[in-house]
Amino acid sequence: MLDIFVSIIVAGLTTGALYALATVGLSLVWGSMGMLNMAHAAMLTLGGYVAFTASTSLGLPIGLGFLAAIVAGAVAGGLLYVLIVSNLLRHDKSTFESNVMIATVGIGIALENAILLTYGGQPLKQPLSVSGALVIGPVTLPYQNILIVAVVLVLMAIVALLLGKTRMGRAIRATAQNRDAAQLLGVAVNRVYFQVLVLSGALAGVCGVMVSSMTQLSPPLGNDPMLKAFIMCVVAGLGNLPGAITAAFGLALLEAFVQFVAGARWGFPSLLFVVIAVLIWRPSGLFGRAQIRRM
Amino acid sequence: MSVAAKPPVLSLTNVVSGYKELQVLKGISFDVGAGEFVTVVGPNGHGKTTLLRTISGLVPLRGGAIRVNGQLVSAKPHAIAALGVAHVPQGDLLFPEMSVLENLLMGAYLAPNRAEIDRRLDEVFTLLPKLSERRHQIASSLSGGERRMVGIGRGLMMGGQILLIDEPSLGLAPLIIEQIYGVIAELSRSGRTILLVEENPARVADLADKLHLLDDGAIVWSGPPADLLARDELLATYLGG
Repeated sequence: MLDIFVSIIVAGLTTGALYALATVGLSLVWGSMGMLNMAHAAMLTLGGYVAFTASTSLGLPIGLGFLAAIVAGAVAGGLLYVLIVSNLLRHDKSTFESNVMIATVGIGIALENAILLTYGGQPLKQPLSVSGALVIGPVTLPYQNILIVAVVLVLMAIVALLLGKTRMGRAIRATAQNRDAAQLLGVAVNRVYFQVLVLSGALAGVCGVMVSSMTQLSPPLGNDPMLKAFIMCVVAGLGNLPGAITAAFGLALLEAFVQFVAGARWGFPSLLFVVIAVLIWRPSGLFGRAQIRRM
Repeated sequence: MSVAAKPPVLSLTNVVSGYKELQVLKGISFDVGAGEFVTVVGPNGHGKTTLLRTISGLVPLRGGAIRVNGQLVSAKPHAIAALGVAHVPQGDLLFPEMSVLENLLMGAYLAPNRAEIDRRLDEVFTLLPKLSERRHQIASSLSGGERRMVGIGRGLMMGGQILLIDEPSLGLAPLIIEQIYGVIAELSRSGRTILLVEENPARVADLADKLHLLDDGAIVWSGPPADLLARDELLATYLGG
C-alpha cells in the first residue's frame, strides 16, 4: 500500500512541478502586463524541439541542449515583445488585452505549424532525459521525476529571488501593482515588459524540455500544459505567482489521487470541476487579493 | 522670502494637453524657481491633476514646452523622473502588496548607490517617524493619512529637485490634513522646490510664495496667496466663496 501511495505522491509532485513551471511563465506575464500569452504553449514546444535538435542533429552535450532550449524560449519571448507587443502598446492601450490575446493565438498557431512543417507530425523521443530509478525498500523513485522536481524547485527559487531581491524584480513587481506609479519613479515599463517576456519565454523553454522528457515531442506538446497552467492561474487568481505555484502542486496531487481512485479519465474533469467551483464561489481565485482598506 | 533672483527649476510655456478629444490644459505658462513653493488652486475638474500629470509625462504634451533646469522634457515619464521631477500623485498610487519600506525603496529606484539610498531613508524616517514604525506593514493595510505620508516619503526618496504634490488633503480628516501640511511646511523650510495643487487656497496661505488660480484649463490669476484671499469676488467666482 505504501508503494502505491508514494507512487501517487511522486506522480502528483512531478506533474505539479511541470504545471508550476508552465503556470509561473503564464502568470508572470499576466500579472505584470495584463497579457494572456496564448503563444506560451508554442514557446514551450519550441524549447522541447530546440533541445532535441541541439542534442541530436548538432550533437551537443545534454547541458548545452538544455541551455539552447532556454535561449530559444528567451529569444522567442523577446521577439514577441519587439515585433508584436510593443506595437500593440504603442497604439490604443484600452484594447491591448483583447488585441494581444488574438495576436498571440495567431502566433501560437503559426509557430506550431512551422514546427510541424520542420519536424513532421510523428512523435519523437526527447534525448534530454535520464533513465533508472532510486529504489528505497518498496518505494521506487524514477530519476527523471526526481530531476524534474529538483530543477523546478531550483528555478522557482531563482525566480523568487529575482522578483524579491533584485532591482529588476522590484521593477517587475512595481509595474505589476501600479504601472503609473512605477513610471513616475523612473521605471522604464517597456523594458520591464521586455524582460518579463524574455523570462517567461526562458521558463517555457525549460518546461518544454521537461514535459517532452516525460512524454514525447510532438507539435501540440505545449497545449496540454498551457491548458492546465491556465486552470491553475484561474484557481489561484490570475497574476498571483505564489498562489499559482501552490495551486499547481495542489491540483496535480488531486488529479493524481482522482486518477488512482476513480480512473484516469476522471483526472482532467476533476480539475474542471474545481475551476467551476472556484469561479462560482471565489471569482477572483483562491488566493485572490484580500485588501484591508481603512479611511 | 525673496525668490525673484533664483533661476527656474521648472518652466512651463503655453502648455496644452488633454485626453482623447478633450483638451484640458489650454496654454499654461509659469515658472517655479529653486526653493520656491508654488501652488495652483482651482475647482475640481478644471485641470489641476492633469497639469501635474502632464509635467511628469503621464499625460502627453500636445503643445507648448516644459523645461526642467532649462532642459526640454521628453514624453517618457521615467526619463522625466530621471531629470529630478518627483511626483506625489493624487490617491497616492502606492504599491499595495509591498511593505512601507519596499514602497520607499522603490522611490530610490534611480539612486546611484546604496549609501545614497540609506541617506535618503534616514532623512525620510527623521521627517516621518511613523513610517519607520510601520516599515514592515503592507501598504494596502495603512490608513488614508499613513498612505499619504508614504506617498510623500516615496517622493522624497527620489531625491528630486522639484516635488509635485497633488491635493495632499484629499479625502482626509482635518487633523490628518494638519499633520500632512506640517510635513510639507517643513520640506519647504528646508529649501525644497515644491509645486502643489490644492482646491482650498486657505490651506496654503502661510506656505506658498506664489499662487496661480486655474479655471477651465487656463491660469486666470497669479499672485501671493494673501492677495487672492483678500479678493472676495475672485473667490466667489472661481472657488465658490
